[in-house]
Amino acid sequence: MTAWTLAGLGAMLALAPLLPGVAAKTKALLTGRRGAPVWQPYRDLLRLWRKGAVYSTTTTWMFRLAPVAGVVTPMLAALLLPLDGRAAVVRFSGDFVAFAGLLALGRFLLVLAALDTGSSFEGMGASRDAAFASLVEPALFLGFVVLALGTDQRSLSGMIGGDVGGRLSWGAGAPSLAMVAVSLFFVLLAESSRVPVDDPATHLELTMIHEVAVLDHSGPDLALLLYGGALRMGLFAALPVGMLVSRSGLAAPLALVALLVGTVAVGVVVGVVESSMARLRLNRVPQFLVAASVLASLGVILQLLS
Amino acid sequence: MPRRAAAGAPARLVTLFFLGLTAIVAAGVSAAALRRPVVADRAFALLVSAGCVLGAVPAVQVLAGAGPLRARFGTWDFGIDLLSAAFLLVVLGPGLASAWYGHRALGEDHERPVGAARSLFALELAALALVVTARGVVPFLVAWEVMAVLAYFLVIFESERAEVRRAGLVYLVATHAGTLALIALFAVWAGPTGGLSFDALAARAAVLPAGGALILWLALLGFGLKAGIVPLHFWLPEAHASAPSHVSALMSGVVIKMGIYGLFRVVTLLGTPPAWWGWLVLALGIVSGVLGVLWALAQHDLKRLLAYHSVENIGIILMGLGAGALGISYGIPLVAALGFAGAILHTLNHALFKSLLFLGAGATVHATGTRALDRLGGLARRMPLTWVAFLVGSVAIVGLPPLNGFVSEWLVYQALLGGGTGGGPIRLTLIGVAGLALIGGLALACFAKVCGIVFLGNARSADAEHGHEAPRGLLGPMFGLVAGCVLIGLVPMLAVRPALAVGAAVARVPAAVAGNGVIEALTPIALLSVGLLALLWIGSAALAAVRRGRPITEAETWGCGYALPNARMQYTASSFAAPLLATYGPLGGVHEKRSPGSYHSHAHELVLEGVILPAWEAVRGVLWRLRPIQHGRLWVYLLYIIAVLLLLLLYIGVAGGTAGVSP
Amino acid sequence: MGHLADLLLLLVLLSGFLILGTTRLTTCIRGVALQGGLLGLLPLALQPLPQWSAHTLGLAAGTILVKAIVLPWFLTWAIREAAVRREVEPRVGYIASMALGIVAVAAASAVATRLPVPGEHPILLLATSLSCVIMGLLVLATRAKALIQVVGYLMLENGIYVFGLTSVDRVPFLVEIGVLLDIFVGVFIMGIVVFHINREFDSLDSARLTELKD
Repeated sequence: MTAWTLAGLGAMLALAPLLPGVAAKTKALLTGRRGAPVWQPYRDLLRLWRKGAVYSTTTTWMFRLAPVAGVVTPMLAALLLPLDGRAAVVRFSGDFVAFAGLLALGRFLLVLAALDTGSSFEGMGASRDAAFASLVEPALFLGFVVLALGTDQRSLSGMIGGDVGGRLSWGAGAPSLAMVAVSLFFVLLAESSRVPVDDPATHLELTMIHEVAVLDHSGPDLALLLYGGALRMGLFAALPVGMLVSRSGLAAPLALVALLVGTVAVGVVVGVVESSMARLRLNRVPQFLVAASVLASLGVILQLLS
Repeated sequence: MPRRAAAGAPARLVTLFFLGLTAIVAAGVSAAALRRPVVADRAFALLVSAGCVLGAVPAVQVLAGAGPLRARFGTWDFGIDLLSAAFLLVVLGPGLASAWYGHRALGEDHERPVGAARSLFALELAALALVVTARGVVPFLVAWEVMAVLAYFLVIFESERAEVRRAGLVYLVATHAGTLALIALFAVWAGPTGGLSFDALAARAAVLPAGGALILWLALLGFGLKAGIVPLHFWLPEAHASAPSHVSALMSGVVIKMGIYGLFRVVTLLGTPPAWWGWLVLALGIVSGVLGVLWALAQHDLKRLLAYHSVENIGIILMGLGAGALGISYGIPLVAALGFAGAILHTLNHALFKSLLFLGAGATVHATGTRALDRLGGLARRMPLTWVAFLVGSVAIVGLPPLNGFVSEWLVYQALLGGGTGGGPIRLTLIGVAGLALIGGLALACFAKVCGIVFLGNARSADAEHGHEAPRGLLGPMFGLVAGCVLIGLVPMLAVRPALAVGAAVARVPAAVAGNGVIEALTPIALLSVGLLALLWIGSAALAAVRRGRPITEAETWGCGYALPNARMQYTASSFAAPLLATYGPLGGVHEKRSPGSYHSHAHELVLEGVILPAWEAVRGVLWRLRPIQHGRLWVYLLYIIAVLLLLLLYIGVAGGTAGVSP
Repeated sequence: MGHLADLLLLLVLLSGFLILGTTRLTTCIRGVALQGGLLGLLPLALQPLPQWSAHTLGLAAGTILVKAIVLPWFLTWAIREAAVRREVEPRVGYIASMALGIVAVAAASAVATRLPVPGEHPILLLATSLSCVIMGLLVLATRAKALIQVVGYLMLENGIYVFGLTSVDRVPFLVEIGVLLDIFVGVFIMGIVVFHINREFDSLDSARLTELKD
């Protein structure tokens, strides 16, 4: 671990809210509007943080714990990602299981917080959130499998960091890694509730997924949930970008910059996707998520063939 | 007293074990024999606790490296090696918690034979301890049968209810079919003249035809019926749901693990299982895991749901076992040791958290009088401590950090991935990674459903409104199990090192090989887990401080503009699971009935209601047609006997004419 | 030869999954058109640029013309004529189809590594060929609408076409005959299926063919 590792971690924690901002800005520009500035999410966070809050009389401590878990779990998961493009703060064999597990814990508590309100709308959002997350999990793990096969490493630092162990061979493995990158992008769209899985800009509760699950949160609690969501998005964006950066073999500061630029670029791509397609009908979303698993499985098969 | 045992410390440990066993049996006898309730209560609690603790000491010593223990009574061999020791802890730890819980819960029952129930429970514990320590076919089968029959009586405790009797009957038939398979297994293995000790069986392993294929099939059948491997799980959900909760906890947490023990024992005795068996076990593991959790999602009954999760977790254990067997077959010792270690640790972990969940469910049912998920709700306020215990069990069973389920699933992932990065066909173990990930995702959804519907939101019925916190006597055992889950989660070295030692022993590789690359990872895992809890604590405190300075309003839940929301409008268990189950179509087993103004859904047991009962009906139909030969007239029956005798004589005459009958 | 061919083959597989996973007839047709176009490029990718012969170029052009333009256009026309805009109701769900598809690809890959096919070929070529055949059969077996079954048949044909590419040096015109067969069978099936079934039953649901029995 070097100072750059901590710098990468700090940059992720500080800049994560930019991602939804970049996506929204891209979408606005592509649809011919001027749109809010990219730092709008920071303003929203600050505004919410300063506000008071309304709590339902039905809710218990679970409702108040979930926003904290929503930030703490991705923060700890960030420790496992090589965010300077080279090595993570913490790395161990099989740390990708912990990465997925931590994020899953955050989701579990969020779903419980939604059910804590006793509202059928939030129950609906929680149910959909849990259903779709269950289909995302195999895609994510199959992606990790490809990376593990490609590098013969068991830690995220080894898989997508430049420092430890074998680098991903983008030569012969290119098609397989491309599959994984696309699959991980699908995972990102699902995990951060973006089009075509969910629409962050929708205003009808019946069609929402993530938005309606956090409907009752307000003030600082909502700010934490929004920040946690941005952080999750940043982590899932850094995964495919890290695959590229680790290959480049850049030195520490450059790798960090490349990773940040790449992560922001993913935000642009998310914006492009959002402005070019509509969200899927809810009963078609599983097909999209299974497609992510299919892509990752193809990646595994190609790795095994090579 | 054992007639022959090794000298010194091992002898003392053997004595300790049998002393513990005697105490447990004595607890059983005292519960049945002592008349005065106060004395009987104290004697039972004291003896059962002392017995479990004494019996666990040798197990811990063996796991710490004291070497295998042996004892012999006449021709009956007993012994504690690493494998037995691990399963002994599974029996005695969660078993004690269930015993305590049952002891208290039964104390309030004044109509049924409580003394007998306690007595049977203690004897069941003793039988379980003997199953995992028996070193010969006869003591093993005797202990096995005692365990199975006692479990039947424990299950039908509330026998005034028809569904309980039915569940008991199905269980009894299934377990005896399993026992038959086991008798066949040992008969085939021992051969016409062979010895009946496990050592003799191990010696015969090399000369078995086709690498012991028949034995391995019979083991999967016999032990699989006990463990509840899909499709042999059909007896399990109803039996575990109908039993009193402490019995469910023992059945789901411990008794079904005897099937896993049996499979492990067969592998250790047989040496190198053929590759097809490893693949079969892995495939059965994935199928049991995915279908188990899917069927659990479809349930409306709290205890049935938990029972299906046992099927799921048996699947995860089998995935580890299968990966381990494949590791042996393909000569990758690391994979073998990791797979077995993962399976062993998950067995222990599942015993801890499944017992905990069943005890929590028992407290819930006790407080509200219903097992129907859609009649519960809002219990977090009325039973806060039970809720915390149940939540810990849920997070553990889903395999999330910072609890024990994560540690064992992490080990299984390591084994499957280790197979994947090996060479040749074993790389297909990677399918298991996807399977385990899917199981994890579905389990998360399922426990979000249980926790959310039962404990959060508003009460859905008057039953739930009357809920009250469980008494201390019931909370104690639960929090004992909570401590186990948290301890293994926060200090994984405690459990992973012994598990790796057991795994290495089963795989017959040095323990140092097994720890390769895994032991070093335990410290960061522990740090992450502790850090997670600390950050959650600090974060919550900080957020609470922030809230103090802000205007906080309490109001009703925002109903999206609807003015008159009520508790019955909350999301139900069925509606929560609907989008998940829709993805899997008929595999989920949900049957729906719709009519204007009403909707009813029913979760079918696909194997029992779909295959076995129809097949049984068909057989009965055939037998019905044979009824005319049974008139009830004595002389006709005598004619039958004469006819059979004549046929026999004829047969002997003919056979004697051709082959010769010895005089 | 090399990465480009691998990439094309991969895209062929992905277009197969597109067909398995989609609900819309038009997407199905676009998928099979895409697959045809990729197959047309495949002979070019399999040989380095200097070795391109008139034969190779002709093959590529013919394949693209038939598989990527004419047949899809014909199918689109048929949809318009028969007014089938409804989504397909498969006997096996889309997710199950995709799952079966990935199993098929895995099995095909396993077989392809052991198949004794003469000559030097990328394993992926054989794997793709077998996968396409299985996926085509899957679509034929599980989809109710006759038009989708034509798409399934085309996928099956495409699989055989890819297999033909492995022996294009030794058996000249094998692939061409395949393409011709395409035209013939495609037109034949469409003519018969579309007009006949439409006239007799007012529907393109092949399940109704069972009504033909007395």
